[in-house]
Amino acid sequence: MTKGLQMSEVTKYYAEGSNRIAALDHVSISVEPGEFVAVVGPSGSGKSTFLSIAGALLKASEGDIKLNGYNISTLTAKELSNIRLQEIGFIMQSSNLVPYLNVLDQLLIVKRMSGKVKREDKEFATKLLEELGLGSKLKSLPEELSGGEKQRTAIARALINNPNIINPNIILADEPTASLDTKRAHEVVSLIAQEVKSRQKAAIMVTHDERMLEYCDKVYRMEDGKLLLAESSRSVVTHG
Amino acid sequence: MFLAMKELMHSKMRFLMIVIIFVLIAWLVFILSGLGNGLSTLAASTFKTMKADYVIFEEGSQSSMGKSLLSDQLMTEVELLPNVSAAAPMGTTMATALKEQSTKNEDKVDIAIIGINPGSFLEPAIIEGESLSSGNPTGVVVNSTMKDEGYNIGDIFQLDGTTESLTIIGYVENQTYNHVASVFTPMAEWRKITFAAPGSDKGVAGPVNAIMLQGKDIDPDLINSKLSNTDTVTRAAAVQGMPGYKEENGTILMMLAFLLAISAFVLGVFFYVITMQKTNQFGIMKAIGASNRFLGKAIVSQVFVLSLTSIVVGILLTYGTAAIMPKGMPFKLETSLVVTYSVILLIIAMLSSMVSVRKITKIDPLKALGRVE
Repeated sequence: MTKGLQMSEVTKYYAEGSNRIAALDHVSISVEPGEFVAVVGPSGSGKSTFLSIAGALLKASEGDIKLNGYNISTLTAKELSNIRLQEIGFIMQSSNLVPYLNVLDQLLIVKRMSGKVKREDKEFATKLLEELGLGSKLKSLPEELSGGEKQRTAIARALINNPNIINPNIILADEPTASLDTKRAHEVVSLIAQEVKSRQKAAIMVTHDERMLEYCDKVYRMEDGKLLLAESSRSVVTHG
Repeated sequence: MFLAMKELMHSKMRFLMIVIIFVLIAWLVFILSGLGNGLSTLAASTFKTMKADYVIFEEGSQSSMGKSLLSDQLMTEVELLPNVSAAAPMGTTMATALKEQSTKNEDKVDIAIIGINPGSFLEPAIIEGESLSSGNPTGVVVNSTMKDEGYNIGDIFQLDGTTESLTIIGYVENQTYNHVASVFTPMAEWRKITFAAPGSDKGVAGPVNAIMLQGKDIDPDLINSKLSNTDTVTRAAAVQGMPGYKEENGTILMMLAFLLAISAFVLGVFFYVITMQKTNQFGIMKAIGASNRFLGKAIVSQVFVLSLTSIVVGILLTYGTAAIMPKGMPFKLETSLVVTYSVILLIIAMLSSMVSVRKITKIDPLKALGRVE
């Protein structure tokens, strides 16, 4: 079974009055485990639609999407919810943590959604949070955390599932640095890059923060719904 | 349950306000039902506690004691009917007890004179003094509330408007009829009081108001066909036939029904508003893979915990209120009543939370990403 994310010829139409607008226009991309891919582009280019479709939140009008071998274009809403739970880790724009759960529970709630929390889960979550420098914040609520700490908690939450290398999940990050200063932004993205490598996750980051592209293996540009591979991350940085 | 409890502990103030509203509703429901129960007990406890299963009335009496007149000669026939294990006659009359010829307001007490045969199954258990005896026709057994009016065992009281006087020989508990204290007298004395005016017994030999029956599988139709000019009903129907009883209960029931309907609405709106405020939060959780079932369970268990807490507090408040109520207030809480209304309130709360659950299932997780192109 193929791992990672494969999209082929994916198109998404939106109706606008009597017209049909292609927010995504025959997009194809493949992200392997251990690969960290960035998608850049101006707002309105279809980045969010792209991420929503890759994240099983939105159905494509045409084309095939394979997530860790599951063809998600044929699944029901309930199955999609389960795919999001088991196969995808989301890191969202403004961390989006549950306000009344402490850092440790933010991770364990994901486990609770799929059943019982086992002792190993708790141990793994604690270890993960320690690795991400949140060892002293396990019992803190989101309101007591800084922006960087919140984002690191969100990263940990995205990594909690499928800790084994055999069946790694897919990390989707939507503007993870939007609410952070340069220093924190670098910390957060380098952390994502590091975790993606060490845990063999397939990761896509949608961003328009071009300072962050140096951490990525490949950089795609999105323009008017078309996704194009930039020559190399360097060229985008220099020319963009 | 986990999510529900964590959130409850985190936003205590918000949930406290809902609990306060819910407690007030529960309190009102319990107080009203207690009052209703108290009132209907006052109206008919003598009838309700009687160990009778069926009542034979005169035909056309609308199951009302006051409108029915039978002869106790029917008794011999009745006892031979199938499934009738015992029968006893009964008569009721409203009267006023007058203490020692006094003309003061407080010395007049409304009473219901219940005529029965001493020793029959209609005679309630005595808590103090002696029971009725045919040899002492003016010796009566009265409800214990007459103690509060200043009557004691051995006291003689006059019946206002008659020359009859009665002697209290014993007390019984929880015996009221038509909202006033029951006074049990032997049948002979009751007849003397009730049919003092010549001809008021319409010439019936051994007149009584009704004949009470014991027996499980009595067929009322069979009795009606065997005995001419009779109408047999269950004891419950006889209670309903008491003047004003249905109307009184109807009023209280109507108030309770409206209260429950309104509370369903109020609680539903509260839960809905709280859920609406959390739309974004639920969206995030759906985006990271929470199923509708998972979130629905969180809401329902939260509502359950809130409801249960509120109901328990409401029950405690109600018992507290009952403890400081004036003695004459017809308030009677029964465990079965409290349990019934608790369950009804709980069901109403759960049902009203379903609106919120439905809302959750419709939240689009896409919104959690912060923007939709």
